[in-house]
Amino acid sequence: MIKLKNITKIYDVSKNDKVKALENVNLTIKEGELIVLKGASGSGKSTILSLIAALSKPSSGEVIVDGKQISKLPDNFASIYRRDNIGFIFQKYNLIPTLSVKENILLPLVPLNPDSEEADEKIQEVMKRFHIEHKEDSVVRNLSGGEQQRVAIARANVNNPKIIIADEPTANLDEKLSQHFLEILRELKSLNKTIIIATHDPLFIGLDFVDREIEIHNGKIV
Amino acid sequence: MRKKINLYLIEYAINAILRQSYKNFFIVTVFTILTFLLTSVFFITNSLRYEMDSTVDTLPQIIVQKMKAGRHYDIDVNRVDKILEIPGVSDAVARVWGYYYFENAGVNFSVVGIEQYENQYKNSFVNLVKKFDFDKLKENSSMLVGAGVKRTMENSYYKEYFNFIKPNGTLKKVTLGGVFDGDTNLESNDMIIMPQEIVREIFDLDPSKATDIVVKVANPMEIQTVASKIKLMFPDTRIITTGDLKVSYQNIFDYKSGIFLALFIVTLFTFFIIIYDKASGVTSEEKREIGILKAIGWTVDDVLKEKFYESFVISLFSYGLGVGLSLAYVYLFQAPLLRDIFVGYSQLKTNFELPFVFDMQTLFLVFLLSVPIYIAATIIPSWKVATLEADEVIR
Ligand SMILES: Nc1ncnc2c1ncn2[C@@H]1O[C@H](COP(=O)(O)OP(=O)(O)OP(=O)(O)O)[C@@H](O)[C@H]1O
Ligand SMILES: [Mg+2]
Repeated sequence: MIKLKNITKIYDVSKNDKVKALENVNLTIKEGELIVLKGASGSGKSTILSLIAALSKPSSGEVIVDGKQISKLPDNFASIYRRDNIGFIFQKYNLIPTLSVKENILLPLVPLNPDSEEADEKIQEVMKRFHIEHKEDSVVRNLSGGEQQRVAIARANVNNPKIIIADEPTANLDEKLSQHFLEILRELKSLNKTIIIATHDPLFIGLDFVDREIEIHNGKIV
Repeated sequence: MRKKINLYLIEYAINAILRQSYKNFFIVTVFTILTFLLTSVFFITNSLRYEMDSTVDTLPQIIVQKMKAGRHYDIDVNRVDKILEIPGVSDAVARVWGYYYFENAGVNFSVVGIEQYENQYKNSFVNLVKKFDFDKLKENSSMLVGAGVKRTMENSYYKEYFNFIKPNGTLKKVTLGGVFDGDTNLESNDMIIMPQEIVREIFDLDPSKATDIVVKVANPMEIQTVASKIKLMFPDTRIITTGDLKVSYQNIFDYKSGIFLALFIVTLFTFFIIIYDKASGVTSEEKREIGILKAIGWTVDDVLKEKFYESFVISLFSYGLGVGLSLAYVYLFQAPLLRDIFVGYSQLKTNFELPFVFDMQTLFLVFLLSVPIYIAATIIPSWKVATLEADEVIR
């Protein structure tokens, strides 16, 4: 269970320029739920995702995941929390462009120092599930947008996290690939993962497997 | 849980080096050149120090010179007998020698006269006397020269003989009777040896006189005592002991080292500038990469470990390469160019060999001055980036 309690997030761009990205946000997400965060550009969707992933800290309020306060974790513990719990599919994928598909997917496993067979098994499994195994040795830079996204999804899942977060997953995809992403989403949902998606793509409105749509406006839930 | 070495991190580090091949090639090149320069300078210095020390060890324990008007003057040969009476003296020999300036080559050679049946004050002379027939040399008016001397003379087209100009202005023709190798390169490569009679003729030295007297003392601890006794006996002399010579050799050497110290400082300075340049600049690509790694679950420790491996591999590789090249340059190729700066006080050191002196201290010092500094310089900026909020970095 994920709980956001009275979250306010203020970005200090400079002394006189402070941006209030979120104001007094309260939100509870149950295990296995698939949530869609909707809202205009700049409304604060990405900020919520990054707080849940402990990539940033709230200015005030608490983020509690499975009973643990993750909004106050020291940096190293935040990393470990992400490694063990979060699969983040970034809007720009955040792959390392000069590494191969396989090498990118291996990255979240590196700190765990697994046996090479174990690592290989995990990588093969996610590559198959997300249909990228035919490109395993290609350098990511040379892949199409859709292929890169599948690498990002595979990487987010290689540690088998409970929580999957996707930021604007269809922003860079065409109609057909977007439809394909919905298939992937359905599969992830069937694996009983908690899924949080931030998007302003109307494609996500009214889907049967989406549990809740939450509208954000100017940093507040409406 | 994570006790064993994380090979994935090392693999990633090596991969990272190869991915930035252009930048890292540059760094390895600069690093290697600097290590090479530093170690070469140290190697040359050490070898020369060693050579100097062994040269000094072959020098006479005591030299007695007659002084007149504040200058070194010819000494009476019969003083040898008086000196031999001093307790503790095991031998005393009158030497006949001098410098001769070769105008064509612009070099001074030492011309040394040897008397076949006298006690020789140098081991190498004992061998020379055994090897060459000095009666014949005297008969033919011939000389023995060091290999380097021979080369210099040949360069000035003196292949068979040389005409020495005597103090009275007339010429003395001396033919080449043979070539010898000396005890130490530094000394004997500018030495010309002849029967004493010929040297006396060239320098116009009376048979009752000698250039100086060398004294051997049985117990090295007594050198100073014997020296003062000689001084007491002949107040008109200057006494030079091995200790004094060591000091003056050291002075020449220290002067040369000064030049190298300057070079050393410049090298270090360059190194620091380049390192600083690198240290202050984590490229936006590298920054982003660190942010990504953290976002997907790497801790700051993981990132720093990886960066450590990266810089360790680069710096150790460059260090090893630099040291290897320097070993080859100094000892295999005898340090062309650099050694000319050092061995510059006589141009006749063409045949001079730098003896191999393996010096752990040098290697360790250069290691300390390069590898840890480089590692720190790369880790610190990465550490700064790694401790930022991941969200900020990858945005
Ligand atoms: N690091 C930052 N520094 C300063 N301002 C920021 C930072 N991150 C976000 N903001 C601001 O906070 C507000 C919310 O941003 P956020 O990225 O959460 O919006 P979003 O809903 O994800 O928008 P989009 O649909 O464009 O991705 C915006 O006004 C944005 O400019
Ligand atoms: Mg966003």
